Amino acid sequence: MTIKNVRDRQYLNVTIITHLDGKDIPVKFKYKKRHDREKPMALDILLQAQETSLPDLAFRYGCRARNCGVCTIDINGLPRIACRSVVRENDNLKAMSTLPVITDLVVKRDQISRQLRGKIYRNSGGNDLNVDASEDYHELTSCIECYACLHNCPMHEKNNVELNESRERYKYGNPFSLLKLQAIVLDPVSSNQQKDDAVTQAVKLGLDTCLNCPGCKCGIGIDLKGKVVDPLVNASKKIEE
Amino acid sequence: MRINLVWKEYDVLVVGSGGAGSNAAETASDMGASVLLVTKDPLSASDTKISEGIATVRGSGSEDDSENALSENLQLAGGDLPDINITSAFAKDSQKAYDKVRANGLRPKISAITNNPDPLPLPMGGHTKRRSIGHKNSGVAFGHANWNSIVKDTKIDYKEDCWLIDVITETNKDDTKSVVGALIYDAQCGEILAVVCASVVVASGGLSTIYFPKTDTMRGNTGDSYAIAARAGAELVDMEQIQFLPFCLTSPPAFEGLLGGEPVTASYLGVLRDKNKKVILDGVYLRTRAECSAAIMKAVEDGRGTKNGGAYLDMTANKRAPKSGVYFMNFLKGSLPSAYNNVRQAMSKSESQCDDLWEVRPSAHYMMGGIRVDENCRSIGGSNGLRNRGISGLFAAGQAMGGLFGANRLGSTSLTEGAVFGQRAGKSAALHAQKSVINLLNKKLFIEKAKRVHSLIGQKGHLHASKIKLTVQKKCWENLGPIRDKRRLTNTKLFIRKTKKQLKNINISNRTKWNQALIEYLELENMLDTAELMAIAALERDGSLGGHVRSDCPNISLFSKPYSTVARFFGNDAHVTRLQRKQTDFKKLIKFKFEEQKKFLGAKFLRLMPMRLKDNILEKRYKKIMNIQKSSITVQPGSVEAAIGDQKIL
Repeated sequence: MTIKNVRDRQYLNVTIITHLDGKDIPVKFKYKKRHDREKPMALDILLQAQETSLPDLAFRYGCRARNCGVCTIDINGLPRIACRSVVRENDNLKAMSTLPVITDLVVKRDQISRQLRGKIYRNSGGNDLNVDASEDYHELTSCIECYACLHNCPMHEKNNVELNESRERYKYGNPFSLLKLQAIVLDPVSSNQQKDDAVTQAVKLGLDTCLNCPGCKCGIGIDLKGKVVDPLVNASKKIEE
Repeated sequence: MRINLVWKEYDVLVVGSGGAGSNAAETASDMGASVLLVTKDPLSASDTKISEGIATVRGSGSEDDSENALSENLQLAGGDLPDINITSAFAKDSQKAYDKVRANGLRPKISAITNNPDPLPLPMGGHTKRRSIGHKNSGVAFGHANWNSIVKDTKIDYKEDCWLIDVITETNKDDTKSVVGALIYDAQCGEILAVVCASVVVASGGLSTIYFPKTDTMRGNTGDSYAIAARAGAELVDMEQIQFLPFCLTSPPAFEGLLGGEPVTASYLGVLRDKNKKVILDGVYLRTRAECSAAIMKAVEDGRGTKNGGAYLDMTANKRAPKSGVYFMNFLKGSLPSAYNNVRQAMSKSESQCDDLWEVRPSAHYMMGGIRVDENCRSIGGSNGLRNRGISGLFAAGQAMGGLFGANRLGSTSLTEGAVFGQRAGKSAALHAQKSVINLLNKKLFIEKAKRVHSLIGQKGHLHASKIKLTVQKKCWENLGPIRDKRRLTNTKLFIRKTKKQLKNINISNRTKWNQALIEYLELENMLDTAELMAIAALERDGSLGGHVRSDCPNISLFSKPYSTVARFFGNDAHVTRLQRKQTDFKKLIKFKFEEQKKFLGAKFLRLMPMRLKDNILEKRYKKIMNIQKSSITVQPGSVEAAIGDQKIL
């Protein structure tokens, strides 16, 4: 084996797209592997970059175990959870393209939750809490809020994220906000009125966009089309009738 | 460089959006207070969200589970360091507080027999009753409920990407101190928020990040809670008491520090071995986390540690048993599924199948000490724990507070802690704000403090806060970690002093919006202040107790007079004193010790029996556990099976 080959095995070349004042600045980074067979995750790359040549690199992360949903970035243009996504030679690491970038790989996330402010009615109202929830309800509460589902979502695209940066909340919804609404529909403690309200909210957020859409993709594998979108669309048709 | 100062007025400011923060904000708001909640990480992305999702609810397993019984369990486990008023409050409120989280969408499995949430089949370590309730999707389910409680109506204002800089206090005529508000760096908007408010609830979590990457918790745990409170003049208790989980992973880097197993998952025949394969601890499944951590670190001290500075967890004997071995593997996978999932991904096949030894090392998990408060979460101080010796208007809940767990925390208690004391803090904060009037002339105090931030932005220097952080983390692990002695603790103190002097040489750009260097600086400062208070508390406690292990002193006996350490800042200097605690009745202590010793002897006896004999006994035992488990929870909380969404891609 040549010396060059040995050296190649010790390093991994990636491009980190940093972002400052509205401009993307690609930076080449040579990741030094800590052992020959190391297959670093995207988060390992970002941490080492901050430790070495990019000390003020801005990125979000939390638990390092794919639970907190905070570290989502785009790898080669696709949303990935950085702490559990293996990086390959020449990969591109960039902020999520679906939300406004603040600095480097940090995006503004909170307009998504604001969209539901005052709209996810939750109150036991003296209801009996001792009722079992369905498997479908539990599937929805496994969502870690990584926002990977915003990718290619025609409903979310209607917001035209970059232009609406200063807005308090987005007008159009996304698979995550629909998931939160469908969770109310599936919650055995919700009243019929609350369930109907949740469906009406989904319609207001632009549920009709889903009619012509092949379906959405979840970062951790929840069946968004089958468990969220289709039931909401069906329920909305019933309410109309 | 100047940064915009934006004035806001509220009754209550809540710092943090995990279990404690969300419960505090909701309760305060329900009582009519105007509430601003700020969080540096996204909403509800907290230790609560990434936890195993098991909560203590008194009475859920049996009707004879009295408040006294639960309170006593906490007292005994905590080495009599917990404040009895606080443990009683925990025992009193656990059901009510849990139901409030349920009202926000947390849905446990309901037993067909009792028509109530069903606890796990066996009492968790240190609990004398079954009272720990597991949940599908583990902590993530709590995360959703907490998120709902903040977002559900428009009453609670909230802001993400906000770093609290300092709580502002004024000194009253009688020399007491009251909160008048806080300064916050809003990184998203590039502004400083000057929040004028009578009450501040500190619920911004723990400090495990000072040991990064030797931790399994959220990155945000940079000791903010303790540093903020201490700089405002508050007292902190038991700052030497941090809980390390003994069996965490050492490699590969992406998994370093994450949980591999718990003492109980080592099962009946699991032992710890040093690098020469000599047994350093047996009866592992009966030991506390602290005992296991201490055993590992003592071996490392003597040069008998493994390559990555840990020890070997040997569960091969469990596996080898011809009849019970199968049951063991099911038990291991079922009882702590998310941890086992880490093992499966990080270790080789023979290791994850327990045919080989696991290399394990302790990781920082939970801060048991914290801000000194009374049972209503109000800051207190002095030898009698008086409110006028604390900071009026300052409240703490969750991991930020001290006095509930003392020297050791029992499993499944922290989620309940967040709910119980979050709600209590919210109530106290709202009541306090109702009867307080803030003199707006005090704006001067805010402007004075803001000057420091103006001077930081654009500070020129040759150092980087993110890099100093790494050095601090390394030093803290080596000198303030799971094993300590006088020399190392004194070293830590000097190191912190020296590093604090370097802060003025840190380079910070002149950006106002998301200035990463400023963020790193603020967090580094909190880490240093917290580590300093920990170091002096650890020096003061000259003996091993619970989460605090001194290699240069003997163990502190359960029968000696219990005391807590109380640390605080006077100006720039850190001080520590002792606070006498009430001792549990001697008869109870003796019974506790006796039962403990009996169990250890039993475990040793079993391990040394001939294989055929013990295999039969174990088969019966496993069958018994598994049978009970069958009728209660089939899919365990936190498992891959539970995260049904996961299955398609794994």
